[in-house]
Amino acid sequence: MKIVLASTFVPFINGGARFIVEWLEEKLLEHGHEVERFYLPFVDSPHDLLDQMAAYRLMDLSGVGDRLIAFRPPAYLLRHPHKILWFIHHVRTFYDLWDTEYGPPPTADNRAVRHALRHADTQALREAKAVFTNSNIVGRRLSAFNSVASETLYPPIYRPERFRCDGFGDEIVAISRVEPHKRQRLLIEALARTKTPVRLRLCGRASNPAHALELQTEIRRLGLADRIVFEDRWIAESEKADILAGALAVAYLPKDEDSYGYPSLEAAHASKAVLTTEDSGGVLELVTDRHNGLICPPFAAPLAAAMDELYRDRVLAARLGAANMARLAELGIAWDHVLARLLR
Amino acid sequence: MKVLVVNNAAPFIRGGAEELANNLVRQLNAVPGVEGELLRVPFRWDPAERLIDEILLNRNLRLYNVDRVIGLKFPAYLIPHSNKVLWLLHQFRQAYDLGDAGQGLADEGREGIIKAAIRRADDALFASCRSIFVNSPTTQARLRRYNAVGSQVLYPPLNDPELFRGDEVGDYIFAGGRVAPGKRQHLLIEAMGTLKAPGRLIIAGPPESDAYAQDLRHRVQRLGLEQRVELNFGFHPRARIAQWVNGARACAYLPFDEDSLGYVTMEAFAAGKAVVTTTDSGGLLELVTEQTGLVSAPDPEALAASLGALWEDVGRAARLGRSAQAAWAAREISWPATIEQLLS
Repeated sequence: MKIVLASTFVPFINGGARFIVEWLEEKLLEHGHEVERFYLPFVDSPHDLLDQMAAYRLMDLSGVGDRLIAFRPPAYLLRHPHKILWFIHHVRTFYDLWDTEYGPPPTADNRAVRHALRHADTQALREAKAVFTNSNIVGRRLSAFNSVASETLYPPIYRPERFRCDGFGDEIVAISRVEPHKRQRLLIEALARTKTPVRLRLCGRASNPAHALELQTEIRRLGLADRIVFEDRWIAESEKADILAGALAVAYLPKDEDSYGYPSLEAAHASKAVLTTEDSGGVLELVTDRHNGLICPPFAAPLAAAMDELYRDRVLAARLGAANMARLAELGIAWDHVLARLLR
Repeated sequence: MKVLVVNNAAPFIRGGAEELANNLVRQLNAVPGVEGELLRVPFRWDPAERLIDEILLNRNLRLYNVDRVIGLKFPAYLIPHSNKVLWLLHQFRQAYDLGDAGQGLADEGREGIIKAAIRRADDALFASCRSIFVNSPTTQARLRRYNAVGSQVLYPPLNDPELFRGDEVGDYIFAGGRVAPGKRQHLLIEAMGTLKAPGRLIIAGPPESDAYAQDLRHRVQRLGLEQRVELNFGFHPRARIAQWVNGARACAYLPFDEDSLGYVTMEAFAAGKAVVTTTDSGGLLELVTEQTGLVSAPDPEALAASLGALWEDVGRAARLGRSAQAAWAAREISWPATIEQLLS
């Protein structure tokens, strides 16, 4: 089949929103399909929103390929007779973040933009032959805001078979972008309160160097330099399997994230438990407390207690890790499943 | 510096322009302190009314996190950015020289209106760019004539100059590049038919159509040239092409009124091979002269005389080749120099 993949991007920014597209592309090619991938620019500032949406609507991909699979907004506005959406989020500032500190001020202009956006979105969503989302949360939002039904199709990670488990060492590992909302700082504070010699490894690039510096300072101030390794750099996919193989567990505590996050999946493929918090959002679709991970209130003391527990009880760490691996099959998180659903 | 290369895209089709765009991005990323990325905007030009939509939609797109745009083609180069340079391979020729030649948009009626809109959009864009580079004097002259805009010629460098080092002067003429009526490989075969000298001709490249490939095969049979003309249809690895070029007595390239030098010419010159061409071949005549090759009228007899001269006098072939190589080197066309210009 000839398949067009269309998503939007901010040039020079890499991240999960590109991975889902490119990993799917690789799988489609492996299965003998022809793929054409488009990343089109999009800036979600209220003033330019509708102009850009008009641009997407004016593009004509009808007759191009047998299927169009659209991802990040507003790629779903593209016209194609067989459009399939793998919807990963709305223009959130005008949806679930509206009326919060993260949304635009509710001026008359912005309210009008919001109304037009929602109207256009709903129409474009209804044109699709099938709508998939990357999490239940996003699916619920589609239903609540646009009255559109969808199916959750969890995105698998890249070449999951490369991950392995070599046992359970002393180190809790957190591989993700280093950002305030990923709360690496809270992990550092928690480690300061642990009673065992459990260790922490933070791996990932900080988009803001000042934030990385703050974390470094905090590590030194708390006297944790010998128990925390902070690798402030881009971690290549090829390195992750080695970093995770001997980990005690994986920590991933984003603040209210939409999806379960690739770090949780990587943990599962390496048979490691996930340490997370009650307010981590989509992570909780994957992780159940004391089944395949530990879920704490988002404070240093309970996180410290959980770290100590994993350190003292390696049998528990191994049991949760094994259950995490089993959870993947339960949720159908596998590329074969994804291809079968998208192209059915 | 974050440099976004902007090109249009015909979905599922790849040609020389895409190759150039990819190489430009690769070369940008090889420069310390420079990041390059490619934006491809799908383009549809049929029916002609689409062109108005295309202008509008590209103007409605927005860019963020980009320091410099290098625009390659209409209409994608219309995407707004305050720091844009153009490197034009050609304009949208249907609205310019092809239109005048009766192969594009007419001056009257609806096509006239569309043509005027394209020219106005181009004029406005050209006025707003930092600088305008073109790939050939032909394109430069058209810009001057139609848009009254000055530009600087910046030849696209070879992507793999290290392969074309030259070797001994062999006993065959090599004709590489796309196999198409417009490249007139049939004329070379006809010339071989009238030639008494015992030299060989090797044609290698992807045929544009089965019909033309078949036509060439028939001509070879009809003229009884099976022993002297080798037809190698299809895509060949770059190293194989370089091998043919490096060992040739000379190279032949007879495009009809080509805009630019053409990679075939550049490869031959880099390898120190004389080029056989015709008086109507266009852009390459700027480089192929009596000192660096043989230029004849576009008919089999005249062409046969050129080929014959090279077979009779190997010393002459070698001399022409050496001065071709020197002429090429004197141009100092390299990626580092090209990128320096584009980012200046």
